[in-house]
Amino acid sequence: MGYVAAKGGLEAIRAAEELVRRRRNSGTSPWLETSQLTERLRLAVDRVIGEGGLWAPDLAARAFRQAEGDVIEASHLVRSYRSTLPRLAYSEPVDMDHLEVLRRIVPAYRNPPGPQLLGRTLDYTGRLIDFTPDDVAQAAANCEAPTEAEEGPAADADTASDDAARRPGRLYRMLRDLDLVVDRTNPDDPEPYDITRQPARPGAPRSARLSTMARAETGALVQLWYRNILGPDNHLHEITLGEVRHGHLPVPVAHPRTGRPVAIGRVRVTEVEAIEDLDGIDEDGSRFDVGYGLCFGHNERKAIAMANLDISVHRDRGRSALEQSVLQTTDGLDASGFLEHLKLPHYVTFRSMVERKMARRSDEARGRAQAVHGLGGDEPDPELNNEELCR
Amino acid sequence: MTTLADLIDDPAFDREPPPDALSRLHGLVEDHDPYEFGFLDEYSKREVRRAVLTAVAVPGYQVPFGSREMPVARGWGSGGLQITLGIVGTDDVVKVIDQGEDAGVNAANLRRLIQDVTDVEVTTDAREATIVQTRHRVPEEPLGPDQTLVLQVPVPEPLRGIEKDQRELRRMHGEADYARMWVSLYEDYVRNGVITRTTGYPCMIGGRYVMATTPIPRWDIPKLHQARFLSLFGAGREKRIYAVPPHTDVEPLTFDDVPFEVERTEGAFCALCGAGSPASGVESFLIEVPSADHSRWVCSDTDWCSRRRGGEAVTHTDLVEAGMGDEPDDESEDEA
Repeated sequence: MGYVAAKGGLEAIRAAEELVRRRRNSGTSPWLETSQLTERLRLAVDRVIGEGGLWAPDLAARAFRQAEGDVIEASHLVRSYRSTLPRLAYSEPVDMDHLEVLRRIVPAYRNPPGPQLLGRTLDYTGRLIDFTPDDVAQAAANCEAPTEAEEGPAADADTASDDAARRPGRLYRMLRDLDLVVDRTNPDDPEPYDITRQPARPGAPRSARLSTMARAETGALVQLWYRNILGPDNHLHEITLGEVRHGHLPVPVAHPRTGRPVAIGRVRVTEVEAIEDLDGIDEDGSRFDVGYGLCFGHNERKAIAMANLDISVHRDRGRSALEQSVLQTTDGLDASGFLEHLKLPHYVTFRSMVERKMARRSDEARGRAQAVHGLGGDEPDPELNNEELCR
Repeated sequence: MTTLADLIDDPAFDREPPPDALSRLHGLVEDHDPYEFGFLDEYSKREVRRAVLTAVAVPGYQVPFGSREMPVARGWGSGGLQITLGIVGTDDVVKVIDQGEDAGVNAANLRRLIQDVTDVEVTTDAREATIVQTRHRVPEEPLGPDQTLVLQVPVPEPLRGIEKDQRELRRMHGEADYARMWVSLYEDYVRNGVITRTTGYPCMIGGRYVMATTPIPRWDIPKLHQARFLSLFGAGREKRIYAVPPHTDVEPLTFDDVPFEVERTEGAFCALCGAGSPASGVESFLIEVPSADHSRWVCSDTDWCSRRRGGEAVTHTDLVEAGMGDEPDDESEDEA
C-alpha cells in the first residue's frame, strides 16, 4: 500500500483545517451559543434554512457558526446533511390561508380586506448605525420583560377577532371576485415535482421552478429579477405586490394509521403574491395575473424576487432562456461550488490547451488555414473559447 | 426499506416492549454514528445504482438523476463521489487521483472522505484498486475487467458549445442529429488548420451517442475504446450519469483525412522515469515543469511513474530533489 506516499496533500489539508478551527474557536470573546445566533442573527439563520432547504433552526445556526458566517457554506453543510436522511413521507398540501401571520402588508390597496400588519420590520427605520454604548444597551435589554419567542407556542389567539387578524383573507380572492385576474385554475391537480429526486429541466412544471427558487440563493434571484427590470433580455415588468406575509405555517402529515392529516409541527415562511400587468398581444390585457413566492424563514427579498420571476417565466412561455436561467443558474451551491472549483489544479487540461496552441502555430496548420481564407490561423473561435473556460 | 407505516402495521408493534428495551434503545442511540456506510441514505444509493444501470444499458446517454448534495462542493467531484459511494462495498479497494496524482489535495480529501464514511481499504496502486475515482485522467496502468473507473465530470454536455437551449439539445441527442457538431469541427479545422478541441474531446460511443469525455486529455481517449473495464461518468452539479461499458467503441469525432491527434511534444520525456524518451520504449501523458529557457517534463500519473522507477510513489519531495518543485511552503503554518 502506498498510502504513506499520498500523505503530503493530507497533511496540508489537516493543517489548514486546524488553522480554521483554532482561529474560529479561540480568542477572548465568550463561546458563541447557537441560541445567540437564532435569537440575534435570525435573518442570517433564516437564509441558511431557506437555501439549505431544511427547516432546522438549531442545525442551521450550528452550520452558520461552523462556516464562520458564510451563508452558502452553511447551506452546504445543511444540504449535505440532508443527503444522509431517508425521505420517509411527504407532507399533505396545506392551505396557505392557515398561515398565521406575524406580518402582512398589501401594497396594492390602502384598506385591503384584512389588516395591514407591519410586524417586525426595519423597512421604515432610518439606516443609522446605533452608537448606544454596549453597556447601556445591555442594561436596557436586561430591564425589558422577555418577549414571547417567535418560535414559541402558537400566538395567543384568545379572541375571535385576534384569530381573524392572525389569519386574514388574501387580496387574490378579492381580485378574483372582481374578475380582475385571469383564471389559472389547473383541474389536473398534479403531484408537485420533487426537484431533489428528479433534476428540473426547461419544460418542467411550475412546481419545479417554485421549489427551485424556494431554495435558490437570495442574491441570484435578486440579480435575475433586476436584470428583468432593466431589460437587457427584453422582459420588462410592471409589478404591484398583492401580499407580503411572514408567519407560521402548520405542517400536516398523513397519520400512518388513520390516514388523517396531523400537524407534526410548524415552520416560519415568507409568502408573496405579485400582481403583474398583462400587456402582451397574446395576453388578456383586461386582467392581471399573479406570481407566487414562498420560502422558509423571513426573507422578503427572496420571496418577492421569486414571485416576480414565477410570473415572468409563465408569461415568457419558453420564448427566451429565462426558464433555463431560473431552473439552472440560481442555486447557490451549484454556482458557488463550480466557481470555487477553478481553484483546483487544472494542469492536465491546461497542458492539453497549450499543446493545441502550439499545434496551431505549426507550418502545416498555418498553411492549411491560409489556404482556406488567406489569413493567419489566429482568430479566436468564440464558440470554443467559452467551453474551454469551463474546464 | 421499512417505512413508518410498515412498522406500525407490524403486529409486533403493539406488543409491550421488553423490559430492557429502553436502555437498549438508548445504547443504540449513543453509539449511533451520525453518518452511515457510504454517507448517502439507502434510497439515494439505490437511485444512483439505477441511474448507473441505465447508463450502462445505453452507452453514452446522459441519464438524469436526483444528485444529492455531498460533503464536497459541486464542481469538486460530487458526481463521481456519489457513484463511488453508490457502488462501493466493504471489500472494495479505492484509489483516488486528481490530475493523475494520488497526493494532490483534492484527491487526498476525497480519499479521506470515502475512507471515513466506508472504512474501505484505499490504495495508490492502480493494480490493487477495484474502484478508481479520477479527475481529468485515466491511469496509465491498463485497467482490467474487475476494475471500475469513476470519472468526475464538470460539463457533461458535449454539444453545449454549439447549442445552449436544453430542449434543442435533447432533440439533437434523441435524433442523433450531430450535423452541427460536424460543421463546427470542420469550421475549426479550416479556420485553424488543426482541430483545436483540447480535453473532453467529443467521442461517438457505440456508434450512437456523442459524449463528452470529461476533461480527460485526448491522450487518454484510446484507453476507453474497447476497454476491458467499465467507465462511469458522474456530473453532480448537472445531475447526469453516463457510462462507457467494457468492449464499447469510443471513436473521437474527426474526419477520414484528418487523423485524431493526442498531446505529444517533440523531445519531451519524463525527467524521473524517462518515459517518452526513445530508449524507454514507453510513453505517458507528460506535464510541463515550465521554464523560459528549458522546460522539463514529468509523468502526470505519479503511481505509474514511481513503479517504473521501482520505488515509492512520487512525492512532492521527489520533485523538489529533482530540482522541479517549489520548496515546501510554510503557508499552512499559523502566521501568529
